Amino acid sequence: MKVTWKFDDLPGRLAGRIRTSPWVAVVRGLAGGQTGPGSTPIVQPASVAGRALTVVIAIMTFLACLTSGAVYVVNQSANDWFADIASEITVQVSEGQGSEFEKKVTLVSLFLAKQPGIQKVNPLSAEESGQLLEPWLGGSDVLSELPVPRLIAVVIDRSSPPDLDAVREALESNFKGVTLDDHRRWQAELRTVTRSLVLGGIAVLMLVGAATVASIVSATKSAMASNREIIEVLHFVGARERFIAHEFEKHFLNIGVRAGLVGALGATIVFLLLPVTMRLLSGRGLAAAELRQFIGSAVLDWPGYLLFGLVVIVVATLCMLTSRFGVYRILKSYD
Amino acid sequence: MIRFENIGLRYGLGPEVLRDVDFHLVPGSFHFLTGPSGAGKTSLLRMLFMSLRPSRGLIHLFGQNCSDLSSPARADLRRRIGIVFQDFRLLDHLTTWENVALPLRVFGKSEASYRDDVTDLLKWVGLGARMTAYPEVLSGGEKQRAAIARAVIGKPELLLADEPTGNVDPAMANRLLRLFIELNRLGTSVIIATHDFQLMDQCDAPRLVLHEGHLEIR
Ligand SMILES: Nc1ncnc2c1ncn2[C@@H]1O[C@H](COP(=O)(O)OP(=O)(O)OP(=O)(O)O)[C@@H](O)[C@H]1O
Ligand SMILES: [Mg+2]
Repeated sequence: MKVTWKFDDLPGRLAGRIRTSPWVAVVRGLAGGQTGPGSTPIVQPASVAGRALTVVIAIMTFLACLTSGAVYVVNQSANDWFADIASEITVQVSEGQGSEFEKKVTLVSLFLAKQPGIQKVNPLSAEESGQLLEPWLGGSDVLSELPVPRLIAVVIDRSSPPDLDAVREALESNFKGVTLDDHRRWQAELRTVTRSLVLGGIAVLMLVGAATVASIVSATKSAMASNREIIEVLHFVGARERFIAHEFEKHFLNIGVRAGLVGALGATIVFLLLPVTMRLLSGRGLAAAELRQFIGSAVLDWPGYLLFGLVVIVVATLCMLTSRFGVYRILKSYD
Repeated sequence: MIRFENIGLRYGLGPEVLRDVDFHLVPGSFHFLTGPSGAGKTSLLRMLFMSLRPSRGLIHLFGQNCSDLSSPARADLRRRIGIVFQDFRLLDHLTTWENVALPLRVFGKSEASYRDDVTDLLKWVGLGARMTAYPEVLSGGEKQRAAIARAVIGKPELLLADEPTGNVDPAMANRLLRLFIELNRLGTSVIIATHDFQLMDQCDAPRLVLHEGHLEIR
């Protein structure tokens, strides 16, 4: 058999495919436009099974959006945090007394500022260094008597970072009692924690995804069973499989999109209210600050909301495909 | 037009309902199909309508062998056949008018092109006042007439009717028979399954009689 491809009509055929695609009909319906001939839809618009399906889809979409939104937020704020931490290193000056010590701090700061790849050098004053230790050591009486090491905060240029090992060696050979801390250990530990958090989130997301798929497929199937009569009659009056499948795809895609949008809207409201509730619930305490530090501000940015749109599309497509397979399976039994 | 060659039919592992059924009907013919209850009238009509495959033998419809047709080709053949089911099979969520118009809608015709035809036909079968009613509230006879109207609205080349007068009074039965005869005069082949002898006596048409699985033409 010889297969000939006709490319000349490809745009036309493509346009036809798009025009008759169930998505177009549904979007037109949502926009308040005409969905077809003015009579009753061939597929019964509201049945008990259809309403149950609507509820299942709305709830599952809501849960899937919540989970994916939460995973997205945690992942996002972990990334931000790493970016912040990685752009900062600390140099600690610990040996020395009185004006000698002050001079040493200034010298080290000047030395650091000269190194390539370093953007900002900020030596903390004795007071500032003391304040950092206050939570552990208590009042300043003790502090003034202790030889408190001085910290120098260094911001590095992340686009062309300095060779930290070389800087460290240079510091140690030029000055006594000066150490460089690039937070690597701390960062590595944190990374493990957040990474396992994100991985756990993805695992939960996969479980929720599987539950969503399973419940939507089975709810669609049972809604299809109540439509068996319609499929049968359409078949007997001479409708082609394509026609019947198309009618059902349109109907179930419609249910999927509408119910999915309701679920996604619910999740959107939750994410919009989350920062407000967090502030209300925890006030300005330390716990709130730590929580915020950890999960970021819990604010979903627009790619996050785009994720919700993706969830709705996947859910609606699933619903549509299940109904199509349902039609073909029922029709198979007549041939 | 219709040719059955050595058709045998059994459901599952049950006994043969039909045996060695062999006949040939020419276009434009008019037949009654009769036999006692359970003789296989409905089964025979279902095979003609390609919603049931024979266990053995060959069926030719409109010059085509039904057993090796693709599914769209079968759908196209079905469009040339009108069928009235014994249990009507109207869709409950559509009005009587919409139910009758369904085949034309499925064929992809525009509503404007068939609006008047559907209304006229419904008036003809005495459902002019029930056009916007839903099947739920129709009487058995009214449903039957709606089912008949749906079967004939597409001007089929072959009309199969399973007990089309089972639920109506003799006067209405006569009226419906006249509708079938009228259609036949316009070129449609008609097969009416019935055990209503009064009806069969109304017109002088050959009878396909099923008896113990065999078919005889009288
Ligand atoms: N789906 C089925 N599965 C098994 N047996 C069936 C099925 N349909 C019909 N039969 C059997 O086949 C035989 C013929 O049935 P059919 O419905 O064709 O009879 P009929 O002549 O139309 O009867 P009636 O006049 O009562 O409508 C019967 O014995 C019936 O029990
Ligand atoms: Mg019967």
